[in-house]
Amino acid sequence: MTWKQQLADSMPAELAAEIETFESQIALRSQGKIDEKVFAETRLRRGVYGQRYDNGRRNDGTGTRPLAYPADRMTKGPETVWDAPGMVRIKIPFGGLNPDQMDTLADLAEEYSDEVCHITTRQDVQLHFVHIDDTPDLMRRLAAVGITTREACGNTVRNVTACPLAGVCRDETFDVTPHAHACMRFLLGHPDSQDFGRKFKVAFSGCGEHACGLVSMHDLGLVAATRTVDGQLRRGFVTYVGGGLGAVPHQAKLLDEFLPEEELLPLAQAIARVFARLGEKKNRARARIKFLVAQLGLDEFKRLVLEERAKLADDPRWRAHLAAAATYGEQPLKPAAALNGGAVPAGCADWMRTNVYRQRQAGYAVATVTLPLGDLSARQMRELAAIARRYVGDTVRTTVEQNIVLRWVSEADLPDLYRDLAAAGLGESGAGTLSDVTACPGTDTCKLGIASSRGLAAELRARSSTPDGRPHDAVAGLRIKTSGCFNSCGQHHVADLGFYGVSRTVDGYTVPHFQVVLGGQWTANAGAYGLAIGAVPSKRIPEAVQRITEKFVAERQPDETFQAFTRRVGKRALKEMLTDLMQVPSHAERPEFYSDWGDPREFTLGDMGVGECAGEVVSLTEFDLAAAEAQVFEAQLELEDGRPEEADRLAYDGMLLAARGLIKTELVDISDDPDRIVAEFRARFFDTKLFFDKYAGGKFAMYLFRRHEAAPRQQTPERARQLVEEAQLFLEASHACQARLAAGETGAAAQQVPAR
Amino acid sequence: MSPSVDNLQRCGLKVFFAPGAEPDVRAFIPIFHRWIQTSAVDGLLIDVADYTHLTDGPAVLLAGHEGNYAIDRTEGRPGLYYYRKQPAAGALVDRLALIGRTLLAAAVRLESDAASEGCRFRGNEVQFVANDRLLAPPAPATVAALRPDLTAFLRTLFRDDAEDVPEPTEMRDRIRLSLRSRRGASLSELLERL
Ligand code: SF4
Repeated sequence: MTWKQQLADSMPAELAAEIETFESQIALRSQGKIDEKVFAETRLRRGVYGQRYDNGRRNDGTGTRPLAYPADRMTKGPETVWDAPGMVRIKIPFGGLNPDQMDTLADLAEEYSDEVCHITTRQDVQLHFVHIDDTPDLMRRLAAVGITTREACGNTVRNVTACPLAGVCRDETFDVTPHAHACMRFLLGHPDSQDFGRKFKVAFSGCGEHACGLVSMHDLGLVAATRTVDGQLRRGFVTYVGGGLGAVPHQAKLLDEFLPEEELLPLAQAIARVFARLGEKKNRARARIKFLVAQLGLDEFKRLVLEERAKLADDPRWRAHLAAAATYGEQPLKPAAALNGGAVPAGCADWMRTNVYRQRQAGYAVATVTLPLGDLSARQMRELAAIARRYVGDTVRTTVEQNIVLRWVSEADLPDLYRDLAAAGLGESGAGTLSDVTACPGTDTCKLGIASSRGLAAELRARSSTPDGRPHDAVAGLRIKTSGCFNSCGQHHVADLGFYGVSRTVDGYTVPHFQVVLGGQWTANAGAYGLAIGAVPSKRIPEAVQRITEKFVAERQPDETFQAFTRRVGKRALKEMLTDLMQVPSHAERPEFYSDWGDPREFTLGDMGVGECAGEVVSLTEFDLAAAEAQVFEAQLELEDGRPEEADRLAYDGMLLAARGLIKTELVDISDDPDRIVAEFRARFFDTKLFFDKYAGGKFAMYLFRRHEAAPRQQTPERARQLVEEAQLFLEASHACQARLAAGETGAAAQQVPAR
Repeated sequence: MSPSVDNLQRCGLKVFFAPGAEPDVRAFIPIFHRWIQTSAVDGLLIDVADYTHLTDGPAVLLAGHEGNYAIDRTEGRPGLYYYRKQPAAGALVDRLALIGRTLLAAAVRLESDAASEGCRFRGNEVQFVANDRLLAPPAPATVAALRPDLTAFLRTLFRDDAEDVPEPTEMRDRIRLSLRSRRGASLSELLERL
């Protein structure tokens, strides 16, 4: 008996057939009959990712050593060894789960993974350390409970997210759940969403004021709205497009003030068609829809979308969900009942203060299960499923803050529920507070991770949970989010205190650091992004957090928010406050600075690999180009804030980073010494004309050479502005050069320069 | 023996810390990293995962190719757990012996490497975990089918000091059975017997 036979009658036929095809593709690849790149994209579209060290190498702290997998010649993608364990991302549309699905997730975590379920910042579930040969059965078992991993990764429409309070929120305009569900079903596998240059993320929110949907940072964001038309109340959406985090965060732009609900799916389809047709395909660093919107301008983009919409043939699926949506609602398992004022177990009052939300339906509440770093053991997942069956039934959701909520808890049950959660080790209070730190996988498992975002998050959590570390009331509600690199999977841009991993070289050692980003706005659907203040060694981040929060407590004005405070105090003063923490003691004096949180190995960037985070492979060059972009963006901000010296420095750094990225195509071990970078760049890309633009020749390279040879003695805003613009052009030329290299147009010339 | 249970490959064994001899779980992180550097225990060792923030399940995981090692706190009973992920040759009883040898060798090594932390294991109980719901669904019939091989393994391990294979106390998730002896023995002795 196999799982395929066992579950033949429980899987939807379409999913069963798809999994069957995937299993055949695995077999064909294992026989070398499918190209590795094609197979990589195929498995990514099934949610089957690579994981750190899957190139068959790992730095064990003493040096990089091979990991001798049995099938070490067989690959499942470029530089990805077949036998190396990987990650499976499981799409949970709008975060909705039922107890049977939770049981299955627990079973799969035990049998194929490492006995841990991880909730992501986009309401997905991830399992790590999974062998590729196990993925078809894993998918079958998910399909049998109505879950698919299809299009959880790759250049596709990713999980459709929504407020976890949808339907029970006191402030929402209407419940967006049925629309989010319909949107997911409609776009999943839709022919018009199969040819994107990059991923496409959709989010729904029930209102514009609160944070839950994070609409402003999505490719397509929809906020519930109503309008009276001909005396009738109509439902629709305020529609945003082109938001995104990443190296350079973009706020989504308002596309439509009121999109009637019946136009939701056709408009999404029209946007998908425009994106597929006109979006960048070769240069993935420029391929998100935000770049297309910026390039075309919002008006032109909108015109094209409406033109496309007008051409679409009518599809009955556009309206199929509307009748049910009008009457949609969840059935509570238990009758409503108020808390009777009786005694509650120890710890319950604290938990109720931070983890319980009173629903708009009287007598019911939403209970948040706080998950440290988004993790729960398989056994805890199963316990939670049993608890859900006992108290709420099928009304469980994951959240973008990496927690799980139980909705429709009869209020009278709250003390018993708390007791049961606490018995399962799931009764931690502090949801949505300073201790509830969000973190991306970072160096734990992500191939692109620079620093340990989870290690840092765990440390910050642990400190704020001790009696001494208990935060002051004024800062208890602040949010901390950490990412392992600037790609922002931990959503650091929208945190009060955000951190992303970077590195610095000190005396020949590489030292883990985090860039400090302050004052992002979680509310108003991620309404504003934070200010980057500077890089602080990882081991001093807890001190930095303490200093920043103490300053806020001491100096805030009445009713001043943390965002308002950071803007009033300003970047310069905030940076000055941290300047001493930015210093790195010598290796002899403080060796612990040279390893990361939770990892005693001496820190190295040697384990960074070719990432699959965003679909196709991400090279080290693309990585550096993205970092350069972030620097130039920062330079622009400095300029706007009237700090030309800083702007000049950042713009120059940005050019150096981009140049270094290009050099890495030939010389991976290039140092970050500016003289070396410029010399190598000149020899490899200028003298060989590899960097030359068809029309402008070597002009853009001269911008770097000039600035490197002579830093301005006296900085003026005009000079700095010019350099920022030059840096932007240099960056564009670097992207173009990288795209040419990737296409192999200049490959032969590239090999003429010997590696040094 | 039901043919499906005979094919069981995904299974594991766990030994428990002696009372009061459970070090702070964080102490195992550098030890496991050192094990990777020196290939100190069996199998291809890949990476260490820090789950010390969890109160249940793995606290520190040493991920391997053939199987994973974990300092595990399931049911509030901390110990060292080793479970196979890749198939091994031989009959089930041979595979149990292989898993037992791998686990006990690692546990002996851990007692020595974490001696300064006071790490010690109990030598009178080994927990068996069947980690495959297709071949070993949690049901009385599965336990009955497993019993002969488990008994043989138990007798090899604890000799005439072995207790009978018990009835499972609960089977909601997967089959977990505690194989016990009356007096117990040191881990090194148990290892020699396998
Ligand atoms: S790409 Fe960067 S931000 Fe995203 S998961 Fe990896 S380390 Fe975290």
